[in-house]
Amino acid sequence: MMKKIISLIKTDLNITYGLSALQYKFNNKKDRLQTILIAIALLSLIPTYIMIVSGLVKIYDAYIGIGQKNMFLLNGFIYAQLIVLLFGFLYVMSKYYFSNDLNVLVPLPLRPKDIVGAKFVTLMVNEYLTSLPIILPFIIIYGTRGKEGLLYWIYSFILMIFLPVIPLALASIIVMLFMKYTNIKGRKDLLRVIGYIILLIALIGFQFKIQSIAQQSLLEGENFFLEMAQDSNVLVRKLGLVFPPSLWAALSLGNYSSVGGVFNLLLFVGTSIAVFWIMIQLSEKLFFEGLIGGLEVATTGKHKKVKIEDLSRSSLPFLSIGLKEIKILLRTPVYLLNSVLGVVILPLIMVISTTMNGKEALGALSMLTEGNSHIVSLIGIGIITMFGVMNCVGCTTFSREGKSFWIQRVMPIKVKDQIFGRILSSLFVQIIGIIALLASLAFIINISLENVFWITILGLMGSVAMTELGMVIDIFRPLLDWDNPQKAMKQNLNVLIAMGIGALYLGGVGFLVYKLFKTGVNILAIYGIMGLIYIISSYGLYILLKNLIIRQFSILE
Amino acid sequence: MLKLQNLSKTYSKGTVKAVDSVNLDIAPGEIFGFLGPNGAGKTTTIKMIVGLLKPDSGRVFINGIDVWKNPIEAKSQISYVPDSPEIYDKLKGIEYLNFIADMYEIPKHIRQVKMEKYLEIFNLKDAVGDIIGSYSHGMKQKLVLISALLHEPNLFILDEPMVGLDPKSSFQLKEIMRERCDEGKTVFFSTHVLEVAEKLCDRIAIINKGRIIALGTMDELRSHAEERESLEKIFLELTE
Repeated sequence: MMKKIISLIKTDLNITYGLSALQYKFNNKKDRLQTILIAIALLSLIPTYIMIVSGLVKIYDAYIGIGQKNMFLLNGFIYAQLIVLLFGFLYVMSKYYFSNDLNVLVPLPLRPKDIVGAKFVTLMVNEYLTSLPIILPFIIIYGTRGKEGLLYWIYSFILMIFLPVIPLALASIIVMLFMKYTNIKGRKDLLRVIGYIILLIALIGFQFKIQSIAQQSLLEGENFFLEMAQDSNVLVRKLGLVFPPSLWAALSLGNYSSVGGVFNLLLFVGTSIAVFWIMIQLSEKLFFEGLIGGLEVATTGKHKKVKIEDLSRSSLPFLSIGLKEIKILLRTPVYLLNSVLGVVILPLIMVISTTMNGKEALGALSMLTEGNSHIVSLIGIGIITMFGVMNCVGCTTFSREGKSFWIQRVMPIKVKDQIFGRILSSLFVQIIGIIALLASLAFIINISLENVFWITILGLMGSVAMTELGMVIDIFRPLLDWDNPQKAMKQNLNVLIAMGIGALYLGGVGFLVYKLFKTGVNILAIYGIMGLIYIISSYGLYILLKNLIIRQFSILE
Repeated sequence: MLKLQNLSKTYSKGTVKAVDSVNLDIAPGEIFGFLGPNGAGKTTTIKMIVGLLKPDSGRVFINGIDVWKNPIEAKSQISYVPDSPEIYDKLKGIEYLNFIADMYEIPKHIRQVKMEKYLEIFNLKDAVGDIIGSYSHGMKQKLVLISALLHEPNLFILDEPMVGLDPKSSFQLKEIMRERCDEGKTVFFSTHVLEVAEKLCDRIAIINKGRIIALGTMDELRSHAEERESLEKIFLELTE
């Protein structure tokens, strides 16, 4: 039995992290580029991380100042375990219930707890990647500043090993219960969307909290950390009471040289093992019940009657392609989240951040825009144009076809129709983005009809160019071999490339407009120039796209 | 109707010859069976005919039109049914059919008649309002078949069409293939089911390791082989 489980864990780790495919990956030029790009993206986060860590040093000193240095550790454990819990929901949901290997694993002679146990171990590795960057600075700062002894580091090591267990097991239990009682046929996708939205809101809220703390610290300087240390004592202590494991971890590490330290360490480790054991036992009852039925796409039970009119609903080829794209976008949760929600969330954040930061931000904005309302239009046009690539519709349009791509290639579809239809689907998302942006602008400041007009017209023109740009990249290197729509959109490097090039393009246009605006060129002339740039680039990209599609449609295998 | 001239395709940088100088000339009104063991080059050949795989050399003509030079005109004459029905899971059956009909620009009144006829034949009328993701493999296969028949193609190309079909649908499909040929249209299909090929086809080609090793009517094939009773024996002997 044990052998079986170990083999399961090994295979799962291998698949999840693509270990066997790694060798092949690095020999492949395309994938090497991907690895390098990801490395660059990670490196770019380092400065922010260093800033946060140096802030932590000040917080440590502040806690020393008020003689509460254990609170510093408690902070670390609570944040780390909270983040593990939050991400845990997401990981558990996709790993336990929506991963592709379930079709293979479920029919094998394995007990539910074997499957759940193996998946849990893989997730633990994931969670270490999340929790270590958070907890390590706390432990290192505390250890080096306080010149703690060897036993401190041994304790830290044990605590870090066990840190993700309780939150991840709790997340597993909650998700399994959730899945069991919401296993309503055909509602799986909807639930997933709702879950994602709740998580997104929680993460954005968390982000704003950190942001406002950072802003405050800049305003108040040194005193701030002392104040925060004193303030947060109450909050952290409360949280510690709600979630005692973090408290035990902090107390064990804070008193490592005394009996209390040993006691708390044992309590922490013991509870971790107990919670894990309970989760595994529960999985035996819960896991399959939430799963069975979730693997199939349910029909509505009784068949929907198709009327005669439905049999003869015809439209022009390009319209038909556009409609098909829109339908699939709206009906696939991953696509919906990344396209439509993507363009709605930014305007929403604008509203939230200005209302949360209160009158000062509003005042500054009004001051900026009062003098010249055209600034609003220009910024609005810029945002909408950027949405044109951020909505991911253009730069994944061919990738999303996936294994059905043959349909597009064997049918007598004119290239013109291919391009127009696909642009249409992007513009559909863009119109939603424009409505969201205008509504949130109207909420924050006064906007005129003129603003609405220019943002809509030039925004849409810019969107066409951006969509075409994305399509050029996507047809050049479409990602067709996927079994999970997530890969076509979320994990598609084309999105990143398109965003990079799109940002350069928009930066260029923006710089030109800024220069023109500063030298006092008539605003109508500026709009005219913008429009002209958009038209020329749209046309140029159209020609390029046309040739590329013809070429790629014939040589792809 | 369908003419292949020295069609060749290699994989893995020229080391594996998947299709090696294949020549075929298929007349209107013919049902043509394309046979061969696994990996012989059947699907590769078919993909080159329908425009999914560019040949390394050689040409494909449909009704005199070069598929790789005038793809749109050529493609509007054919329909293709692949071996596995990978289609849009998120569309409803009816939406898929209308989408395909739009691509072939089939007028309203015609598509209504065709859809009703084929949905009835393949017993898919009740399911056509559901999304394709809820269909079984066979139902998807039938939907692809219906969509391929809507525009009454001059050349009907099928890759392993009988796989996954229930006996009734399989029978209906054979009837449809026969009818089409009686109307002077052409059917080209690959299969493993020798019995089907034997009963249905006007002519048969057997491909092995990328080369056509036998071509002709059943009688002609018999005269080539020593064991002459059944196509199975001929097939086994030739592809040894």
